[in-house]
Formats: sequence, C-alpha cells, structure tokens
Amino acid sequence: MVRLRKQTLDGNVETLLLAILEAGPSYGYAIAKELNQRSQGILQLGEGTIYPVLHRLEEKKLISAKWRLAENGRQRKYYRLTARGRKALLMNRQQWQMLAVVMRRVLNSTKKLSPKPRLKGATI
Amino acid sequence: MSRALQKYLDRVMIYANRNEKEAAQIRAELEDHLLKKIDDLRTQGLSREDAIYQAIEDHGNPRTVGYGLRKRFPLLDVRTHGTARGFIAVGPKAIGIIAIGGVAGGVFSYGGISFGFMSLGLLSLGLIYSIGAFSLAPLGIAFGAIALGIMAMGLLSFGVTAIGVLAISLICDPFYISDCMRTISWFTPETAPHFLLQIKSIPSVMGWTWFPFYISCIVLLTAKLILSRKEYRRIKQADPSLVE
Repeated sequence: MVRLRKQTLDGNVETLLLAILEAGPSYGYAIAKELNQRSQGILQLGEGTIYPVLHRLEEKKLISAKWRLAENGRQRKYYRLTARGRKALLMNRQQWQMLAVVMRRVLNSTKKLSPKPRLKGATI
Repeated sequence: MSRALQKYLDRVMIYANRNEKEAAQIRAELEDHLLKKIDDLRTQGLSREDAIYQAIEDHGNPRTVGYGLRKRFPLLDVRTHGTARGFIAVGPKAIGIIAIGGVAGGVFSYGGISFGFMSLGLLSLGLIYSIGAFSLAPLGIAFGAIALGIMAMGLLSFGVTAIGVLAISLICDPFYISDCMRTISWFTPETAPHFLLQIKSIPSVMGWTWFPFYISCIVLLTAKLILSRKEYRRIKQADPSLVE
C-alpha cells in the first residue's frame, strides 16, 4: 500500500484532529482510533504522536481540555473544540476542498496540449 | 501495570523532560491510552503480553513521542538526536529575518567592507547550522530589530536631512547648491545640531555591528555544546541503554 510521506502530512494532522473533535469531546485513545478508522489505515501514525499535536492545539486555544473520571475509574483527559478551533477548522476545510478540486482537475486531466500554431506561409 | 509499560513511559518522559507537575499529567494521559488499548486488544483475543507489546508498538518510538512532548521553541535545541528537525521548524523564518537584517545593515552602512562582514556572518551561520543547528529565532528577532533601528536612523540622516539641505540650498541660491550645502549642511560641525552629528557617525561604524553578532553566535554555540553535553549526561544517567 502507498504510504503518505511525512512531508505531505506535516501541518495537516492538526486539521484532522480538529475535524474529529467537531463531533464532540473525546480523549486521546478514542481520537487516535477514530483517526485510524476514518483514514482507513492509510495514515499509519504512531498513536503517541497525536499527543504533541493535541497539546499544541491546546496551547493555541483551538481546543480545551478537562480531566474527568472515566468508566474504569481512571482520570482521563477530554478535549473539546473551542469557538476559535471551529473557525480554524472551517477555514482549513474550505482550503482543502479547493485544493482537492484543483489537484483532481489537474492530475486527472489527460487533455493534450494543442500543437504549435504554424505561421502562414512557413515551411518545414 | 506491567514493567514493559512502565519502562516505555519512563523513556518517553526522559525525552519529554517536563517539570514534575506537567510530567505527571502527561504520563497519566499516556498511561490511560495504553491501558485502554491493552483492554481493547485483549477483548480481541490477544494474550496480556502480546497486547502490551502491540500497544507499545502502536504507540510509537519513545524518542519521537517524548521529543514531540518537549516544550516548544526553547532558546537552544539541545536534543541529542535529530537536532536538525528543531532547526527546520523555525529555520526559514529566522534565516529570513537575519538575511533582511543583514541586507539592511549592509545597505545602510555605505557598502564596502560591511558587505564583506555580512557575507562572513551568513557563512558563519551556515557553519553553525551544520554543526548543531539550534533555534535562531531570538537572535534573528534581535538582529532584525537592530537593523530596523539602523534603517530608521539612516532614513533620518540621509533622507529627511538631504531634503532639508536641498530645500535650504535652493532657497539660498539655486545655482550654487554644492557651495550652499557645504556651508549650511546640517552635518557640518558649525551648523549641525548635535544629535544629527551623532547620527552621521553611525554608518561609519556599522561594520562593527557584526562583531557583537559574531560574539553572540559564539556564545550561543558554546551554550549549545554545553547544554547538549548536559542533556546527554541526563539521559545516560536516567537510562544508560538509551545512549548506547
């Protein structure tokens, strides 16, 4: 299977995590699982690598976090999207949709370039 | 909790190098993740040992996870591995600031020798990057600010003053502008206000502004080497197998 290169992914994991949190508050493991499911295994990120991104989003105030007691009695950190995060997600989504359209149109186009116009009276 | 899991978390936290309170919270969060994952894997039929192994494997390299969790943009990047990555994160911006500052400095310092200093400065930066690559953002911002100040002073001394002198010259005698400028110039000791004389002397010493720059580079490089050594010792002390 073709894997996404790290450079292609850089900077976009933030948007992916924001998109997952759009559905409602969630915690690290559930977010990683959801990301894996939605990407249908293409991403193959180390699950632990989402935490630096989550913490960065929290620093930027795009998400907020709260510790709550989980069903197993352990303390669990839940993340939720802030108004600022929702706005950032909307903007990133629009950008990505536009880029996807452009990429699809250009990459899927098989139209050949028109041949060079011949000058009147020119001979080869 | 299993020893393998403990050891994995220990390693992540060694690389993360956060204060006690932050480390406890991060550890608790990662621990919850791993335990939940192990529970899930066991319900899928894996043995406890296999589930632990799989959970750790899926969680990622402790160095990658730990370094990711380290506080961002420290003054110096002292990671013992993959130092270039820290530089790349802030590099283009820092280089841009320094380059603009350098060009501005060169332009406003009568060219000549200062351009030579500028080239040497950029060359030394390249050398420093290739040796260890540390975050140059603070240095770049400081240098950019100095350059902006010099640009402002340059504009004041060569722009506003020139217009003023020209206007006075034209009023005095349009046919003897050069003579007029010599006698009425704001820069001549007889007629110039004191502060303008001060400004006038700045461009001639502009070349020297690179020396503090060199010194700051040497100080930062030395600090980087000392801190890298300290970081290496800290990791070795916490878990010798990590540096073998």
